[in-house]
Amino acid sequence: MTTVTAPRTPSTTPTWKKVLRRASDRRYMPVAGSVLTLVLMLVIGEMRYGGSNGFVTPRLLSNLLVDNSYLLVLAIGMTFVIITGGIDLSVGAVVALTGLVIATLLPMGLPLPVVLLVAVLIGSVMGLIIGVMVQYFHIQPFIASLGVMFLARGLANAVSVNSLGIDHPGFSALVSWNISVGEKSQQFKLNAAGLIALVLLAVAFYLLHYSRFGRTVYGVGVGDGGNAIDLMGLRTGRTVLWVYVISGTCAGIAGILFAMYTKSGFNLTGIGMELDAIAAVVIGGTILTGGGGYILGTAVGVAVYGLIQVLISREGLGEAWWTKIFIGVILLAFVILQRFLTARRR
Amino acid sequence: MSTTTPSPAVDIARRVTQHKLFWPVVALLVLLVAAGVRSPGFLSVTVQDGHLFGQVIDIMRGAATPLLLALGMALVIATGGIDLSVGAVMAISLAVSLEYLDASSSAGEPATAVVAVALGVAVALVLGLFNGFMVTVLGIQPFIATMILMVAGRGIAMLITKGQITTVTAPPFKHIGSGFFLGLPMPVIIAAVAFVVVVLVVRRTALGMLLESIGINREASRLAGVQARNVTWFAYAVSGLLAGLAGLVYGAPTMAADANNIGLMKEMDAIMCVVLGGTSLAGGKFYMGGTVVGALILTTIERVVIIFHIPSQLTPLFKAVVIIAVCIAQSPVLLQKINMSRLRRASRRQAEIANQEVPA
Amino acid sequence: MDQREPVVEMTGITIEFPGVKALDGVDFRLYPGEVHALMGENGAGKSTLIKALTGVYAINGGRIVVDGVERSFNNTSEAQEAGISTVYQEVNLVGNLSVAENVMLGHEPRVGPFINWRAMRAKAREYLDRLHVDVHPGTELSSLSVAVQQLCAIARATVVDAKVLILDEPTSSLQKNEVDELFAVVRELKERGVAILFVSHFLDQVYEISDRMTVLRNGKLVGEYMTAELPRLELVSKMIGRAEDELGSIEERAHRVAAATHDTAPRVQALGLGKEGRIEPFDLSIYPGQIVGLVGLLGSGRTEAARLLYGADRPDHGELRLDGETVRLHTPNAALRHDVAFSSEDRKREGIIGDLTVRENIALAVQTVRGVWRRVPKKEVDEIVERYMKALNIYPNNPNMLMKNLSGGNQQKVLLARWLATAPEVLILDEPTRGIDVGAKAEVQRLVIELADRGMSVLFISSEFEEVLRVSERVRIVRDHVMGDELINGPEVTPEVLIERIARTPADGEGEAA
Repeated sequence: MTTVTAPRTPSTTPTWKKVLRRASDRRYMPVAGSVLTLVLMLVIGEMRYGGSNGFVTPRLLSNLLVDNSYLLVLAIGMTFVIITGGIDLSVGAVVALTGLVIATLLPMGLPLPVVLLVAVLIGSVMGLIIGVMVQYFHIQPFIASLGVMFLARGLANAVSVNSLGIDHPGFSALVSWNISVGEKSQQFKLNAAGLIALVLLAVAFYLLHYSRFGRTVYGVGVGDGGNAIDLMGLRTGRTVLWVYVISGTCAGIAGILFAMYTKSGFNLTGIGMELDAIAAVVIGGTILTGGGGYILGTAVGVAVYGLIQVLISREGLGEAWWTKIFIGVILLAFVILQRFLTARRR
Repeated sequence: MSTTTPSPAVDIARRVTQHKLFWPVVALLVLLVAAGVRSPGFLSVTVQDGHLFGQVIDIMRGAATPLLLALGMALVIATGGIDLSVGAVMAISLAVSLEYLDASSSAGEPATAVVAVALGVAVALVLGLFNGFMVTVLGIQPFIATMILMVAGRGIAMLITKGQITTVTAPPFKHIGSGFFLGLPMPVIIAAVAFVVVVLVVRRTALGMLLESIGINREASRLAGVQARNVTWFAYAVSGLLAGLAGLVYGAPTMAADANNIGLMKEMDAIMCVVLGGTSLAGGKFYMGGTVVGALILTTIERVVIIFHIPSQLTPLFKAVVIIAVCIAQSPVLLQKINMSRLRRASRRQAEIANQEVPA
Repeated sequence: MDQREPVVEMTGITIEFPGVKALDGVDFRLYPGEVHALMGENGAGKSTLIKALTGVYAINGGRIVVDGVERSFNNTSEAQEAGISTVYQEVNLVGNLSVAENVMLGHEPRVGPFINWRAMRAKAREYLDRLHVDVHPGTELSSLSVAVQQLCAIARATVVDAKVLILDEPTSSLQKNEVDELFAVVRELKERGVAILFVSHFLDQVYEISDRMTVLRNGKLVGEYMTAELPRLELVSKMIGRAEDELGSIEERAHRVAAATHDTAPRVQALGLGKEGRIEPFDLSIYPGQIVGLVGLLGSGRTEAARLLYGADRPDHGELRLDGETVRLHTPNAALRHDVAFSSEDRKREGIIGDLTVRENIALAVQTVRGVWRRVPKKEVDEIVERYMKALNIYPNNPNMLMKNLSGGNQQKVLLARWLATAPEVLILDEPTRGIDVGAKAEVQRLVIELADRGMSVLFISSEFEEVLRVSERVRIVRDHVMGDELINGPEVTPEVLIERIARTPADGEGEAA
């Protein structure tokens, strides 16, 4: 029988102290870094391109969301996988595959909701394959997801080697739907893709931070192969499987969003997109070797990624290659930083 | 004298079928025969214009690029790593070489061609060393380190060619890709020489054994005095260098550097060659001869697809299925089950033999 | 005390793995409100028994009765639901989660589908308070000391209302005051009627905290005793047993007697060499041609000491001298170049390179000293391989066989060949004859003596006292991470004497030079 202890009096520590304690908690350091980076970039942007309208406008934020909603969804799925200490290199290929599937199925007369559902499920199945290879065949995540990446590219190639435009009334309606507030540079436009991305962000936030599943995800990533949480009675195997299904599903959804963005499907889409997603996740403070990360951090990472592109093009380096180089360099910098931080820890 | 020793014929048969190269060679032969049956004259080799000519020669030529990539990839995979940047390195080295030729006033001179080649290969070597640095010194996981170069590298290649497709006319350089030597296509000669050099370096020195040792049991290797850092670094450097060479060999026939597309998905081909040759993606023992057979199988598949009128767009899918199948077959879980039964058989055999030995 | 019903009763437990019987008909009883110590050397079966009780292993024979109900656990969750909780040596909590999560996970308070964080932290605080642990529930677990982490693990056990709490080597990384705190908590739980299964190789602590003991050896039950009724010496005897049973009939005990004097500097000398948490700073000297034996219970720090001499681990304190000159052997490669060799006791993880051939395994260390580029010539390798395969009688006599296909004993011989092939001046052997058949054991011992006669310095670590006494000139005792007395070998030094030295506590007074 448990003895009744008098309930502790509610904490009387002032809020600012609580915030300070949270902020100085070692685990939040990487995210703090990302937020700092974001703020820094906004300030630089304001200083250099402020002009008459200012740089940081609702228009800017709206554009960031519109241009990067697919990436946000990809990064959300990737966050789960990376926290468990794994990786999913197949997401770019899955995006290409789903785009092509949509472009092929719609002209066949299938109803839009069905086509979209099929597209998402394709992603889920790809993720499931990775999960099975990792969890039951003990194949390393990078090998397993590399294999599925080849598979998805192969399938995409099999569907079509040419770009297929999507011309479907329902689809176009979905693409052009939006809610806008304000005028000109103060205008904030929210389109379907952005809305979907934000909803997924909220769902992921709940999953990762307010459910037992989310806690198990962190537990898997602590580096002992899920041993500790197994002993705690939590279900490691299922969690690992689900994490890859989540990533695949997000890739499927992102494929839809990207198809909406480009209004087409193309088998060579998305090459290198997985690195963009990984970069956003890492910049957002998630540790690449697993065990730590925050969904909101990922959102910050995506914002930083989008902002990099904006700043680069403003700077006159709008060509495609500069983005690739910059992202590579910045990702490398963050990875090295993380190595340094985790090495210290040990 | 025990009566259970198998007859010599059975013994030889067992040794042959259990050899690592057996199934890959069989697969290759099956493919070649099938193609020969479907397309009479497929296997014929004639002499034209002073050099060998035929479908089989084309296959060999086509296998040169993947083989060059795969030779380096095998070394890296043996240590338990991977090099996803080989395609991008191909693009960079070709871009560097062609830009140099373009800017040079004496593009038609053999000497200039030699310098261009040296430049391209040197840049590739530096990139390989950089990969090695990231992996062995900074301790970054190989797939991330090389993936960064894979993406950023393509950007660098595009930067070098300024987004254009650089085309140059330089016959001596082009000779690397479309010329002939001793009757065989130059790419084949170059790949053959590279193969011989790599095999010598790897098997004549202790490098090969040390690479394998690291991949099989890193800690035991460390305690036995193996310096993993230097050896692994070297593997990445070689991978980079060979990728550079591959880029030149690949791009020389067209003399066009399309930074966006050259080398795309080539890492998949390289991995496939390595894996078909018997090397496990998880690291450990690697097989150079097997890799050659793997490269030949790869190119033969591409030919066979055409001959059987299978749409070529299905080839990547087929390759992917093969890779996944081999991954699963090589997976520790399956290997454990096979090993358990093999161990049981082996120990039973040992026990039999021990029982029959005359006690000392 | 025996009038109560045991909360756990295991009878005739047998567990088999391919080729080995880990447990053979073991009985075990646990009563509520008592601390029961499970004693035995590594490999005796303690962790196997615990894993059977906690649902990690399935049992091949016998039965487990918990609270009067026969159970068979298919997984750890079932065992936990039956009220059995474990706190492991490596804590086994999730370091990157907070204290509150680690304590409450699996039983989180919720609001609908959402975890109620505030309530979780409050609840965790409650459970921690009850054990008088003062830590903020929001703290990341890995930022706390191991001692506090363990207390959090125990708090977790109370959350699930454990009837049985298993503490597996809980004090290995604790300071004295932290051990006291832990024991206070343990006594508190005892009062509440929890049954506590305590595993530790620190005899002092076992005697301090436990009421009853069960001793295992080689997978079999030796006996169950009341702690107060079993003197320390007898306990150690029962744990170690008579190892020479394995050696068959022994004629007479051979004792290696020292060469007259050593007038040169020691070949290898450790001065104040130590590593935090592994082995206290120690001094050790071995002269050319001298064999020094090292004995102690497994986990006492003997392997850690050996590893420091070889450069397998980096020391935190002290220095190492070879032939009078200070050297820094920070990697095994450096050690090999200084003619120091080390044969590890964990051959699977630290020795065997399974997919390489026997020949390659033997030649490996010789090669690494030569470097990457200069391959050891085939003739030289052939000669080395043939020499050692014959000297150690390695079977089958096929150097091209894959290492992984050899039996354990032969693998051990191949590893020995690897080190001997480097012709070291200092040879450190950690359990060199483990798994080797009787005849070969004698061969190895003879070989070691012969090498020493030719000038090699040897550090010989073994759990078999007979063997140590047969080859060593001097014997050092290692106990609880402290390198202790040195005994000069002679007819009066028997295995019993060694056992007694190991069992001795600091309170008994430190040794006289024997």
